[in-house]
Amino acid sequence: MTQPPRPDPIPATTPLLELRDVSKHYPVRRGLLRREAGAVRAVDGVSLHVDPGETLAVVGESGCGKSTTARLALRLVPASGGSIRFDGQDVTDARGPALRRLRREMQVVFQDPFASLNPRMSVAEILAEPLLVHGVGDAGARRERVRDLLRLVDLAPYHAERFPHEFSGGQRQRIGIARALALSPRLIVCDEPVSALDVSIQAQIVNLLKDLQRELGLAFLFISHGLAVVRHVADRVAVMYLGQVVETAPKAALYGDPRHPYTQALLAAAPEPDPARRLARTPLAGDVPSPLDPPGGCRFHTRCPATQAHCRSEAPALRPRAAGSGHAVACHFAESIPAFTRFRDPRPRPPRLQARLALYEARRAAPTP
Amino acid sequence: MSETIALTPEAAPHADFAVARRPSLLRALLRDPLGAAALAVVLLVVLAALLAPWIAPGDPYGGDLANTLKAPGEAGLLGTDGQGRDMITRLLFGLRTTLGMGISAVVIGCGLGGLAGFAAAYYPAASGVVMRLMDVLLSFPAILFGLALTAIVGPGLRAVVIALSVATVPLMARVVRGAALVVLRQDYIEGARALGMSDARILTRYVLLNCLSPIFVFVTLRFGQVILLGATLSFIGLGAQPPTPELGAMAADGRNFLFFAPHVAVLPSLVIFVIVLAFNVLGDSLRDALDPRLRR
Repeated sequence: MTQPPRPDPIPATTPLLELRDVSKHYPVRRGLLRREAGAVRAVDGVSLHVDPGETLAVVGESGCGKSTTARLALRLVPASGGSIRFDGQDVTDARGPALRRLRREMQVVFQDPFASLNPRMSVAEILAEPLLVHGVGDAGARRERVRDLLRLVDLAPYHAERFPHEFSGGQRQRIGIARALALSPRLIVCDEPVSALDVSIQAQIVNLLKDLQRELGLAFLFISHGLAVVRHVADRVAVMYLGQVVETAPKAALYGDPRHPYTQALLAAAPEPDPARRLARTPLAGDVPSPLDPPGGCRFHTRCPATQAHCRSEAPALRPRAAGSGHAVACHFAESIPAFTRFRDPRPRPPRLQARLALYEARRAAPTP
Repeated sequence: MSETIALTPEAAPHADFAVARRPSLLRALLRDPLGAAALAVVLLVVLAALLAPWIAPGDPYGGDLANTLKAPGEAGLLGTDGQGRDMITRLLFGLRTTLGMGISAVVIGCGLGGLAGFAAAYYPAASGVVMRLMDVLLSFPAILFGLALTAIVGPGLRAVVIALSVATVPLMARVVRGAALVVLRQDYIEGARALGMSDARILTRYVLLNCLSPIFVFVTLRFGQVILLGATLSFIGLGAQPPTPELGAMAADGRNFLFFAPHVAVLPSLVIFVIVLAFNVLGDSLRDALDPRLRR
């Protein structure tokens, strides 16, 4: 089942992080002799890149391999194939001092703020730990840095002596972000950083991340299953399905003109508050097929509303749409499938509502102070 | 980014409270009256055992055969045993033997068991071999081990310590492996690895520290059990040999006179009871004091 390597579109400047045709296969062993009975293809030939200072969001359902992609990028799990480059250097097999240098440049924020902080260490210890491990500064400098970090994530200096259990979920996530910032990395991998938080807190954390990005010039690899959050943070989006990227595009193109049926289905699944505008759309049937035995041809053909015979036999490559657009789709019929309409033609709105909505949109579009 | 912290609703308002220093371990321990009492008893017992040769009023071996089985108060403060030896002296020296035996067995057994457990949890490749070995060890009762060992090295304290250590290893290994597996699955371990932390540092600063609660509970519980098991082995004649003073052996000695001189058996049993209880309570409050979530 070898597929041709798929070049990631727009290799403009040197990307900060680049995954080229990266795979992760977990062997499945069965029986008394633990013979290899197959492999779970958690990630299968993924190519991505993140430019300095930008946010690439990776979205997909549970089990599509997006978290594994994050761990591959972080070099927390070894890749089964492909290459990982950081700042133009191949780090796929980096170890020892090279890997330590890489660790300083790339940090991670986890999903569950309750499991991501060592409960035995005070906040000051947690934040100083990265500096200690990498031998940065003396005790005084580290204390200073801890204060700076706390200020950076809008926590107070007196929080330093407290323990993680004394904080709320949102505050813990702030501590997790501060910890990731401690070594001044250039890339932060955010593995669903807001999925475990209340909606009101989600907005705070997302805004904090955006502020930090602007202030410190960070790049984010932002893993998420929610397209709503992604719309808010991402510059570019990659949609994953069953271990592969099915569509990647700048945010506006992806939300405005999604070309892959799976992307369209994901967008359609977002709830719409106005019942009059809801479209009678049949949701995707069935579950994600097992990555242990992915369907042949196009992996999405078992659930795709536009499946044709061709889809069952031949896997579509990730093809760029137009040169320089940065939009690439892995679908045989990317050009011919109907345009995505989120909404039915709305019934005429009362003029007063129309006026108010226009006002609201104008206010929303204005930059927030 | 705003400099003023009060803008965010999440930052607590009382910023002027300054830094709330966390209490030291000892302070936290002493705050619990039961823990403080247990600590006092343990310190007293250990001190008494250490100082036995200097504070004991009599000779632990040579007795006065004219003054046997005197009740407390009649001869000395606590009477004499079947060979006319002063009970206080015997108890102090017995404490020394028993504590030494218990502590060395627990330290050796829990040390080895802990290493095996951590290794099995951290290196999955080693897990199968190590844990099956532990299962084999677990299938022998401690008493049987004691019997076998005395057949090899002869009866005595050495055999008891070895037998109890070996019997402790698999139990500790299981407790530690279970606790470590839970901790190793937490995100903060992955975060530590993403920082480029060494295995040794992760194991000590993250895994060990977060496994302390079950370890403390087990070690103190096991200490009580080991003392009782050691006393049992001495009681059936496999452990300390006369005239070595050992609390279990002394209790065994005393049962011959249980009806007319009960103090000979009751006093050592009472001391065993107090030691075991004090160590268990101390372990419990030490665990609470070590856990920042349970402090204050």
